[in-house]
Amino acid sequence: MASITFQKVTKKFGDNIVIENLDLEIKDGSFTVLVGPSGCGKTTLLRMIAGIGPQTSGSVLIDGKDVTQIAPGKRGVAMVFQNYAIYPTMSVRDNIEFGLKNNKIPKEKRDMLVREAVEKVGMTEYLDRQPGTLSGGQRQRIALARAIVKNPSVFLMDEPLSNLDAKLRVQMRVELIELHNKLKTTFVYVTHDQVEAMSMADTIVLMNKGKIMQEAKPTAMYRDPDNLFTARFIGSPAMNMKKLNENGEILGFRPEKAKIGRTPFENEFSAKGTIIAKETLGSEVQYSVRDKDSDIFIVKTEDEEYEMGNEVYTGCDYKNIYIFDSKEQRVRDKDPRYPEYMEKVRALKL
Amino acid sequence: MKTPLRERLKPYLLLLPAFVGIALFTVYPVIRLIYLSFFKVNQLNTSKTTFVGWKNYISLLGNSAFMTSLKNTGVYSLWTIVFTLAIALCLAVWLSQKQDHLSKFTQGAAFMPHVISSVSIGLVFSQMMNPTYGLFNNILAVFGVRGFQWLQSSQTAMGSVVFVSVWKSIGYYSLIIIGALQSISPSIYEAAALDNAGTWATMKKITIPMISPQLFFTLIVMTIGSFKVFDTIRILTDGGPNNATSSIVYYIYKQVFWEYNIGRATTAGVFLLIIVGVLTGVYFALLSKRVHYQ
Repeated sequence: MASITFQKVTKKFGDNIVIENLDLEIKDGSFTVLVGPSGCGKTTLLRMIAGIGPQTSGSVLIDGKDVTQIAPGKRGVAMVFQNYAIYPTMSVRDNIEFGLKNNKIPKEKRDMLVREAVEKVGMTEYLDRQPGTLSGGQRQRIALARAIVKNPSVFLMDEPLSNLDAKLRVQMRVELIELHNKLKTTFVYVTHDQVEAMSMADTIVLMNKGKIMQEAKPTAMYRDPDNLFTARFIGSPAMNMKKLNENGEILGFRPEKAKIGRTPFENEFSAKGTIIAKETLGSEVQYSVRDKDSDIFIVKTEDEEYEMGNEVYTGCDYKNIYIFDSKEQRVRDKDPRYPEYMEKVRALKL
Repeated sequence: MKTPLRERLKPYLLLLPAFVGIALFTVYPVIRLIYLSFFKVNQLNTSKTTFVGWKNYISLLGNSAFMTSLKNTGVYSLWTIVFTLAIALCLAVWLSQKQDHLSKFTQGAAFMPHVISSVSIGLVFSQMMNPTYGLFNNILAVFGVRGFQWLQSSQTAMGSVVFVSVWKSIGYYSLIIIGALQSISPSIYEAAALDNAGTWATMKKITIPMISPQLFFTLIVMTIGSFKVFDTIRILTDGGPNNATSSIVYYIYKQVFWEYNIGRATTAGVFLLIIVGVLTGVYFALLSKRVHYQ
């Protein structure tokens, strides 16, 4: 169990500044997901905690203690790598045991810990196999067992599910949530997939270009984005956007809150357009509607009566409209500028 | 349906040129070598060539010059392989860790000897190792060591030959090992660092097993190569002084071109064949289980 603190950390690769003066606090026992597009610096942060890619300046604290000078193997952290980094020449048992051996743990205790760890990931019967004979999902579990066995105070995971097929990924997601509940240690999980972040995290840290865009619980992330980037990144399909004017002020609404109809919507946002795609998802249908400015709105609804090429209206309650100013920051309803922006929304003729 | 004869013969037909080549240039000479080892060969008048049975073998085993060559070859091979592998491994580990100008230069420089003919290398080293005017003794004189005999004393000659051979081959073998090292994913080493593995544990448990196929290959190729050593010895010492550096192949060469004793030369050739074959077999029996192929 440990909290992690970043204090004014900067990371440079040569002349390229990836992260500059970043501060972040990861709570003890949390399941924190660092999410963002590739190159945003999320893996860089993770590697700083592990000590395998130290920061250029600033400090990283684990449980209030500066670990900058402490070797990776002595920080009490364990990491699951994207490609698993299983030692290919060692058996499953040796893979899991390697860290314990290096820490000079006696044989009987090692055997017990290894047995516990493989039981937790359901790989008991594979102990004497060579990694080459295992499938991707099984290797993933071995990598997990190798981390669990060290009983770390911090679990680091670098896109651990990205090499698995879709079905297995969903299953492993549930297992990781369970594992976190069982171990109650701090999990720091890196992914570029916002669905993974939304489904597993209790805290999401959304990053872009080395900066933290927003740090919040998944629901807050989705319902109350701080800025345009968060609004666009979180949610699938992404939020619908429409320019309010040439100054770059923008309104947005979620496809889940959007409506579709044959006649204009009164006293709500309404835009005329043509259906260019209809995707049947089973319980719902997803329409893509293109308006006269070639902006595309996505509407998620149970209504199946519309077809490709139909002229329709896309609508949304004014209370479900998000507004962003020209600096891409959210204008919330308590903001003094809010009524003025809403006037602009009401005045739109689409 | 039965495949027509023509179709069935096609693959053999396509393989035929290769088979002919191997039969003519590999299989036949080996059979001829073994055949000749049972004869007392008269090159001027082949009708006087007589079958002598095991006589060549018996006399060779009692021949002190041959036994010395056999021993020398073993000593030479052992030290050349040990030093070359150890130095090449260290050099490769060092060079593959950083990719700066110095390491690139070192890599290129270490490979250079492989491109130079061993005759040139031999000539240059025999000059540098000259006890009176050679470069090495001039350098040693600075440290107060004088009159080191290098190739001219039977005590130091073999060591000097090994030195030249090692110098010649480390570049090539370190290149092979560097290639193997660079194919190891860096995340394996990061995982090892997080597993609190020290330098030695990482080397022993991860690096060496991961490059074991290349090390095994290197060991076998080097063993075969060093048991056949000839050119370096021919240029540096001519087998001397007092047979101190004569190798099996050098002995064969002397039997053929100085003593005109083809029977004995071919018998020595058969011995060489057996030794290399047995050693390779022993390597496979002892080591192949510890080589990790992925």
